[in-house]
Amino acid sequence: MNEWILFLILFLAPIISSVPIVLAYKSKEWVNRLPPLSVLGIFISVLVSIYIFFCAPTDLPACRFSYPWIPELGINFVFITDYLSIHMGVVTTLIAFFIAIYGLDYMKGDYRLPWYWFFFNLFTASMLLVVYSDNLFLLFVGWEGLGAASWGLIGHWYKDDDKELTYVGTVDRKVGPLNYFWPPSSGGWRAISTIRFGDVPMFIAIAAIWVFAGNLNISQIGWGTLFGTVGFAGTIIILLFFLIGLFTKSAQVPFSEWLMTAMTGPTTVSALLHSATMVAAGAYVFMRITWYIEPWTLNGVPGLETVYIIALFVGLISGLYGALVALGMLEKKVLLAATTMSSLGLMFGATAASYWIHAEVNGMNIAVLVGFWYLATHAFAKASLFLVSGHLIHATHTRFAVGDLEFGKKMKVAFATTIIATTFLVGIPPLTAYWIKSAMDHVMEHLATEYSILPLILLLATSIIYSAVLARFMSTNFIKGEKPHVAHVEGGGLMKAGYVMMVSMLFVIFYLIFTRSELKEFVHAGFEPLSIAVGIAALASFGIALYKPRMPSMQKFSTVLSDRMYFPYLNDYFCPKIGFFISRICDCVNRGLDGFCNIWVMPGLFKRISGSIRLIQTGQLNRYVQIILSLVMAFLIIATIVMGVMLV
Amino acid sequence: MIGVGVGVSELWLMLAALVILVLGSILSFKHSKLGFYTAIVALILGLLACRSTYYGSFIFAIGIINLVSLEAIKSEIKGVDYGLVGLMALATMYIFNTSDLSLVLASLVLVSVPTYVLVMIREGGANVELGVKYIVFMVFATVLFMIGAIILAAEIESMYIIGYVMLILGLALEVGVAPLHVWVPDVFASADPIPISIIGSMAKILPFIAAIKILISTSCPLTETITLFTAILAGISMFTGNIGALTAKEHGRVLGYSTVANMGYVLSCIVAIANPEFICVALTGGLLMLFSNAAGKIGFFNAIKGKGAYSPLMYILAFSFIGVPPLLGFWGKLFIILSLVEVGYIWLAVILVINSAISVPYYTRLARELGIGWKANIANFVCIAVVVITLVTIVPPNWFVEGVKILVQNMGLAIGV
Repeated sequence: MNEWILFLILFLAPIISSVPIVLAYKSKEWVNRLPPLSVLGIFISVLVSIYIFFCAPTDLPACRFSYPWIPELGINFVFITDYLSIHMGVVTTLIAFFIAIYGLDYMKGDYRLPWYWFFFNLFTASMLLVVYSDNLFLLFVGWEGLGAASWGLIGHWYKDDDKELTYVGTVDRKVGPLNYFWPPSSGGWRAISTIRFGDVPMFIAIAAIWVFAGNLNISQIGWGTLFGTVGFAGTIIILLFFLIGLFTKSAQVPFSEWLMTAMTGPTTVSALLHSATMVAAGAYVFMRITWYIEPWTLNGVPGLETVYIIALFVGLISGLYGALVALGMLEKKVLLAATTMSSLGLMFGATAASYWIHAEVNGMNIAVLVGFWYLATHAFAKASLFLVSGHLIHATHTRFAVGDLEFGKKMKVAFATTIIATTFLVGIPPLTAYWIKSAMDHVMEHLATEYSILPLILLLATSIIYSAVLARFMSTNFIKGEKPHVAHVEGGGLMKAGYVMMVSMLFVIFYLIFTRSELKEFVHAGFEPLSIAVGIAALASFGIALYKPRMPSMQKFSTVLSDRMYFPYLNDYFCPKIGFFISRICDCVNRGLDGFCNIWVMPGLFKRISGSIRLIQTGQLNRYVQIILSLVMAFLIIATIVMGVMLV
Repeated sequence: MIGVGVGVSELWLMLAALVILVLGSILSFKHSKLGFYTAIVALILGLLACRSTYYGSFIFAIGIINLVSLEAIKSEIKGVDYGLVGLMALATMYIFNTSDLSLVLASLVLVSVPTYVLVMIREGGANVELGVKYIVFMVFATVLFMIGAIILAAEIESMYIIGYVMLILGLALEVGVAPLHVWVPDVFASADPIPISIIGSMAKILPFIAAIKILISTSCPLTETITLFTAILAGISMFTGNIGALTAKEHGRVLGYSTVANMGYVLSCIVAIANPEFICVALTGGLLMLFSNAAGKIGFFNAIKGKGAYSPLMYILAFSFIGVPPLLGFWGKLFIILSLVEVGYIWLAVILVINSAISVPYYTRLARELGIGWKANIANFVCIAVVVITLVTIVPPNWFVEGVKILVQNMGLAIGV
């Protein structure tokens, strides 16, 4: 089979399968019947991605497939099936598929199903384009598709009519001049505006890479030569501009706010957004370019170290900030959102550490491998937790954390899933993430000798707090939370199936860690004293938070954290102020220009000149003849004089 | 001697067309429709005789539309008017076939004189006063043009500049280039819209081609210097026309000023003939500009006659005048600008662009005021026809450039023999 057909099916199956429900939007009957077709489209993508995983070549140049688009500009449909993309492709399609199955139940009876399924499938297809694209321009197309779909999905409940379930924050709460709650429409807007803020510099960076490197294929760009051409400042500007796009997409500080209010969307959207698509796209693209830049081989290149230091600290600080903020959160989904941001920070941090890490396994840098496998583990675990949250919101009719042990016993499957997902994710030995976190500890430990000990400290602090946060999530929702006022615990078969399948993937990754040759280093790292110590600390932190999820004596500190350290002020107060200031200046300039060109100066001037031109139109023939004769005579006299002068 | 002995059959075809036209005009006193049909037959023969298919087709189309638009008026010389329009179209088609100066000048007269009659047509009488005003200037223009042409043809170096200036002044007065444009706004505003749509379209084409042919054939080292005169005149005309139109209220008057501006655009392509390399680009620009001017004028004047026309059609014509791609007017301006840049008259190219911007308000105003809902009348059908002409350049006019390359080879006149 030709590979292009495979790629075509991979990207188009989700989109095409969601078109019928859009076309049938007027028929309620068909709208309720057609969602399985959209899920089928995603299932086809699952099959194709698995086929690619097992059958596609992974070594360059055989793994690069190029089809002409605008060959004159070096812009082509270029897909790559290297180690990163084949794994990420399967992770993406599987997660989207499980969530889609869950969504069949969760979204039943919703008032905007065609909208939901179209954007859900577009979201998946766009992410797959980002995953498999080698050409930066093509990747950017998928990137923008993610942005558009996220706007559509986060603001899905655009009517803002369900304050209990769809808002973020305590309704009617004010902090200073600011309303501290956000409806879905505001959530969608905050997402798209933040992301667009990052996309523009990213696009400029891509343009600059094209100008200076003459190629946009990530695996073909001569990165070393490019950095040599653009010099110290050029390297920093291009890479930082590119990174701003990734940071905004992955909600790293200071661009994290949109992610918190993205929780206004349906839970399925939150699950997809937080695991394999959107936020993961930023971290994934950072891994992809790092994979081919190979910064560990370019240690002497001026400017590159600065960029990787910035990425390292933005990641680790985001990691700590996210974990801390999550500690104070009262809403199930927002708590998980903050931990997602934290995890993404760790992925950025680990990948950025590759600059100082020269260790390779099977030709792959260990730091990037750590970043990627943490991404995959986090994706399945976090998606499971989100899906459980959605089920809990359905059951309890509140987005806040409620649930005692009695409730937990009634929601056995959800409870069990939460136990697995949390313990497998926080790095408790010997569960899945422990081995990956150990390798991460090992990387940062190495950094302590090569560069600074600060990254290791940040990582350890984040790991311990993170563990407590997820324990708190479990405790407040299933063990020690308030008794829910409402408890619809029956039904939800497809929802349960969705998160059970999702969480079971953590066992698959567990199995892979012990069987894949390139992951052996993770296992070795797990037996290092530091890793064991960190693992025990995470376990202790988990246990304490499970036992005592709330500390009334720390209420004030907790409020500061749950208010997200007042970062919303940046988004909702300072940025708009700056925006209004700029718009006022623009308005003044506009008024000036309008006055000059449209209202006063120019129209007056033209009116006067026009009047003068028309003044000679008296309609009298004799006057016209006089004018014409005198003009002709004048021209002829001038011509004669000129002729005479020239002859002389 | 260029062209002698070439195209004997073309000459016969033309003669046959003329005979048919005359017969048709005479017989139309009995049956006025006969004049219409014979004029069409004559135009078909003229098209067959024309050396350039694309150029001939444009003139043919404009001629046919002019003939059809005459249906909208009940004149006292019904039948003969078809013959007059046919005569103008035949002369315009023939101009590229001849290399004889006398035939070129005769063609000019054949296009000019019928307009003396046409301008006076009005329903229920004749517009004599206006006719006198118009004829005075046309006669003067033709005389200036002819004397200028003869002086240039005599190839007396000491008289070259005077000959050149007289020819350009004659041309300016004939087509309405500022500052010799005084007759244009008055005539365009007062005459019946239908004959003016013919005077504003078909009658403008031949004088330019005749002038270009004469100037190319007689060009000498002085040409490069004296083209500055043409360039200044073109610039003045653009500004006068466009700014004058801004505050003009009657639609006919606005279109009069628009003609002054458009003639300025076309005149600027004469600047490029100083350099033979760019004649092809300049001529392409000039011809496309003349065709777009013709299409627009026919459409708008017919809309005035029909008390408005279908709004989208009006806007398409306005956008073509403004120079919105891919309409005909855009390509005309583009090729003229290209030729100006190539010969180093960048300032004139800039003035042309500025003037295109100045023209936006009054063209859109015209489209807004004349645009109404759909009605099945002659005005709308004529407008559809001219919009089709305007849209023909959706296919980029490389094809027309190829046609012009052939025409350029036939530009020379047999002067001095």
